[in-house]
Amino acid sequence: MSSNETTYKIQVLRELLAKKLTRPVVGSLVSCVHCGMCNDACHYVMTHPDDPKMTPSYKADQLRKLFKYNYDWTGKAFPWWVGAKEPLSDADLDVLKDIAFGTCTNCRRCTLNCPMGVDTATLNRLMRGLLSSVGVMPEGVRVVSKDQWEIGNQMGVLKEDYLDTIEWMSDELVNEVGDPNARIQIDKPGCDVIYTINPREAKYDPRTIAAAAKVFWAAGESWTMPSEGWDQTNFGLFSGDDQLGGAAARRVYEKMKGLDAKLLVISECGHGYRSTRCEGPNWAGIDQDWNMESSVFTMLRYLKEGRIKVDPTKLGKRVTYHDSCNLARSCGITEEPRELLRAVTTDFVEMTPNRAENYCCTGGGGAMSMSEYTPRRLRSAKVKADQITATGAKVVVTSCHNCVDGLSDLIKHYKLGCEVKQLVDLVADALVIEECAVMKKPKVVVEMPKPALPLHGRRILVVDDEPDVRTFLRTVLEDAGAEVSEAADGDQAIAAARASKPDMITLDLSMQGKDGIEAFAELRSDPGTRDIPVCVVTGHPEFRGVIYSRAVPPPEGYMDKPVRDEELVDNLRRIFELRNHKVHA
Amino acid sequence: MPAHEPSALLHATEIVHWIALGVMAAVYTMRIRWLLSFRATRDRQAPGNPARTNAKRGALYSLANVMMPWAMESTRKGFLFYLTFVLFHLGVVAGIALAFLSTLARPFLQIPAVAAVTIGLLVAAFAIGLYRMVRRVARPVMRLISTPDDYFSVTMLTCWFFLGILAELNVIGRLPGEGVMVAYLLLTSFFLLYVPFSKISHYLYYPFTRTWLGRTMGHRGTFPLVKG
Repeated sequence: MSSNETTYKIQVLRELLAKKLTRPVVGSLVSCVHCGMCNDACHYVMTHPDDPKMTPSYKADQLRKLFKYNYDWTGKAFPWWVGAKEPLSDADLDVLKDIAFGTCTNCRRCTLNCPMGVDTATLNRLMRGLLSSVGVMPEGVRVVSKDQWEIGNQMGVLKEDYLDTIEWMSDELVNEVGDPNARIQIDKPGCDVIYTINPREAKYDPRTIAAAAKVFWAAGESWTMPSEGWDQTNFGLFSGDDQLGGAAARRVYEKMKGLDAKLLVISECGHGYRSTRCEGPNWAGIDQDWNMESSVFTMLRYLKEGRIKVDPTKLGKRVTYHDSCNLARSCGITEEPRELLRAVTTDFVEMTPNRAENYCCTGGGGAMSMSEYTPRRLRSAKVKADQITATGAKVVVTSCHNCVDGLSDLIKHYKLGCEVKQLVDLVADALVIEECAVMKKPKVVVEMPKPALPLHGRRILVVDDEPDVRTFLRTVLEDAGAEVSEAADGDQAIAAARASKPDMITLDLSMQGKDGIEAFAELRSDPGTRDIPVCVVTGHPEFRGVIYSRAVPPPEGYMDKPVRDEELVDNLRRIFELRNHKVHA
Repeated sequence: MPAHEPSALLHATEIVHWIALGVMAAVYTMRIRWLLSFRATRDRQAPGNPARTNAKRGALYSLANVMMPWAMESTRKGFLFYLTFVLFHLGVVAGIALAFLSTLARPFLQIPAVAAVTIGLLVAAFAIGLYRMVRRVARPVMRLISTPDDYFSVTMLTCWFFLGILAELNVIGRLPGEGVMVAYLLLTSFFLLYVPFSKISHYLYYPFTRTWLGRTMGHRGTFPLVKG
């Protein structure tokens, strides 16, 4: 059975390769002279000097072998002479999976350093697409792709949650600026701007939505957010699945056209911008006849047109700018973010190298969703860590959500002591509201009911073997209105859960005695505790795969330490809300 | 300088290497037709930064990349390697010119300055060829990515450069007899016949790959690169 399956997979691989071969792809496949000049361009090579398999041409050769075996004259006649070869077994495909997904973030730095113009990153993406088509891909890629296909966004955010989040951010903004017109409009037809976001914003970082809304409001923009087709990110770029890429992009375009908006604004996200603005029309097979731009361009235009005013002294910290690979190398966006950054800060220092020569945040190419490669990714992040350290900056600014995650992870790992922000955060914070056109109107005083504490009355069991962490979590949760109990290991947690049936458990994974992984499986297997929502709070993001691969329902939340108090409360609140939705449904 | 009166053997060798050139041209034509038989692509999205660049500018920049060592980090930081690349390829040009001019315009090759430049380039290319052989064998990375074709190509070219040096010496009368020239032309013939089936044909694809990459990158606003 195994051999039949293998034969079938390789047959499918071969058939799909035939469909994917375009002139530029074939050009890149036949042009490599194995000169090795791409070697020093790759952050994996720089940080793994003992492993020659990290070299980009070796990675691209995996596809090249397959191509030569099936298409090249010499490769067909004398395969051994030119290294032509086909994968023969499932094990071969797994090796290819590890190379294509685990040793390359498709950052395209090697492409720009190849004298022949070989687009190795595109070849690697093509290899990913071939493997994905036969089901050979990291679990994280499979899950995220499935969510984007089935739910419409890559983080599986339900429509109700998305709308709730927008509503919540609307409330906060109205409270902050005291203008009921600041409320975010959903599906308002005929607006000048339709604003699309990264689902990470709705799920983990809704403040960026509020920040963008504040800028739009201050500029007096006619704008709306769509209720569907709002995810401008596209996992098709990472998985190599052009069909997913086309479908996801089409959803955004169709919604924009349906609402008759004049301009599609894409929030700060490198791969989202590349997917929606550059690759999407190609994947979807649609000639672009509408306007699209990054929110960086939008904010810069507001500034230049005098629609918003900013005070650059508000931040008061040294900042540096990290160029997202997708923006700088694949879309040519390098100067506009800097122009904007200089307008909203006073101490900006470049990191070296920068712009199209910048190093990857190491979280690109979907790397953040492939926990099995986390140790290698973090090792490769040393290059970026050194770059940041050399700037002496306290704030790393980037225009990409993926980079925010990648950079935050490496900053934590290498203990760099700085934070990551996006331009929208800085612009919103630097806004001089009094001088905005909208504020020249008589101010409307809005009486908003004081919101109830977000976790009021919730009974939460905090499980962690470190007393300091338990104290921190208890303090944050009690401040949010929760009633907190504690357990210091897996056995205590199970006993406490059985005895008191809490409304929620926050669970550390690495603990003395029975660890969180075992405790989680036991909690989920016990009819008395299986329905208690669990939010994992761990310092080991790489355990994600272990937890999610268990033959029990996955946890309702998964957070990496250190957690910020707001983020923790928000996540738990959302888990409760989701639970309520399900119960009512 | 004595008049060039080739023996029957040398004459036959000269004819063979012209035939080899014809075969190479025919195979190259087929190669290009083969490459162009694959699906063309086009960018359906609007230009990325039309105020600064466009597809045509990007393509020209990309094509000229080979002459701009400052443009790429790999050539900027590895300038010595870039220099060896330039000399190696100039050596190839000198070697090809030597092979064909020795039958068409032998007196030209006997001009002292031309002879000096030819020998200089061939000597440099030969030395670089030796270095490349050692580099390919000694470095684990290079070993990992090398195929028999890679080893054979660099070895054959290095031998060809060596024979080219001897052939030019023969042309200017410093080396007597015809044996060297016969060997050189035979190796050139083999080289011409082998090249279309090996990685050495990369230069045939170069204009295509660089143009295609440059066109895309120019359309998107990336090429020409903006430096900090």
